Amino acid sequence: MRKTVFIMLLLFIPAVVYGETMQVITKENAIRADCNFFSAVRAMVKYADALEVVSTKGDWYMVKFGGKSGCIHKSALNKTAVQLAKTQGGSHAASNEEVSLAGKGFNPQVEDAYKKKHPDLDFNLVTKVEGFSVPAEKVAMFIKAGGLTE
Amino acid sequence: MKNMVIITLLVALMGCVPTLSSIPDTAIKVGTSVSKAARPIASEEEYYIGRSVAARILGSYKLLNSPEFTTYINLTGQTIAFHSEMPFTYGGYHFAILDSKEINAFACPGGIIFITKGMIDLAVNEDELAAILAHEIAHINHKDGLGAIKSSRWTEALTVMGSEAARQYTPGEVSQLLNVFEGSIDDVVKSLVTSGYSKAQEYAADESALVYLRASGYNPAALKDVLKNLQSKSTPTGGGVFKTHPSTEDRIAKVNERLTEYRVTDFFKIRSKRFSEHYNVFSR
Repeated sequence: MRKTVFIMLLLFIPAVVYGETMQVITKENAIRADCNFFSAVRAMVKYADALEVVSTKGDWYMVKFGGKSGCIHKSALNKTAVQLAKTQGGSHAASNEEVSLAGKGFNPQVEDAYKKKHPDLDFNLVTKVEGFSVPAEKVAMFIKAGGLTE
Repeated sequence: MKNMVIITLLVALMGCVPTLSSIPDTAIKVGTSVSKAARPIASEEEYYIGRSVAARILGSYKLLNSPEFTTYINLTGQTIAFHSEMPFTYGGYHFAILDSKEINAFACPGGIIFITKGMIDLAVNEDELAAILAHEIAHINHKDGLGAIKSSRWTEALTVMGSEAARQYTPGEVSQLLNVFEGSIDDVVKSLVTSGYSKAQEYAADESALVYLRASGYNPAALKDVLKNLQSKSTPTGGGVFKTHPSTEDRIAKVNERLTEYRVTDFFKIRSKRFSEHYNVFSR
């Protein structure tokens, strides 16, 4: 019977995301030592980097990347597997998600065309607005000083 | 032993099912029209749509140059965003102030949020400012802007994109995609500036805002308070937020139904003090 239990457990293991590869879907992000937004950064990752999911903890994934391990929030990852090298070779018919992650869809090339058609629009201002951001450390201090929740 | 098998299975299920359900489909399920297409709009595509929508907004409104207050609203907004369903977007959240007395705010797809000076003037403390930002963050989390894009446009875009993941489009493809992109931007801007979201979307944004506020440690009742401030500014011919949102009275009633107990601590005074300090410099 012990064997049955063991086999049953094994049957469940593939359902867990352990070992699954997930892709970064933000421009850049951080793998942190602990599963919170303000923990020390172990490694920086960028769009389309493939991370190996080791386990989950609430809304966070514990991942491995480039010999380092740590936590990253689930909203920064997508489970789609993309192999740019393969798709760029042309022999591999990409899935719809792959198409987008590989730079298709609405991308800088389309934005450039839009800019040319609308020279009156000031995209430099948009880039300026994108510069309005605050580092996580400052947010942590702000939260603490205001008695808010980390 | 049978029990042991059952217990083992239960333990395995407890471990597995939540894990599976927690896998995000962050390439986004848009609530309305676009979700019917072959695939949803991905985070990177949402980002480019949002940039152009932001450019259009900035074509109609002047950006207010107030570095200190801009940093302050970014700290407040980022705190809320961390406690939303989607703390990270492709390009992140960015909050900017528009130099206009009109009472309005615009959540561009992808994470750029504009708030007018007139809207900021409604808030009398940090919790109320946080409530305004939480409502806008909810629109981004709910993909309400993308939902305004006609599904036919996205279907056409997908046809042009094809299934091969090449990085560069031919000039002909760019021209076709440009038409679709331009139409999509028009759809979103029209929804943000002129027609507004549906009542259901606005109520849902208020409901999520209450959740984000509570999770962040702000007083959720601040949303009701700031809506009351808004109500007091209402005029029969009011533009801005009055033109695009359901009646403030109805919103207050719905928020009221969902409010739960919150213990106000001394930190409220500390937050209110820092709000006043920043606001006094800002409003000079």
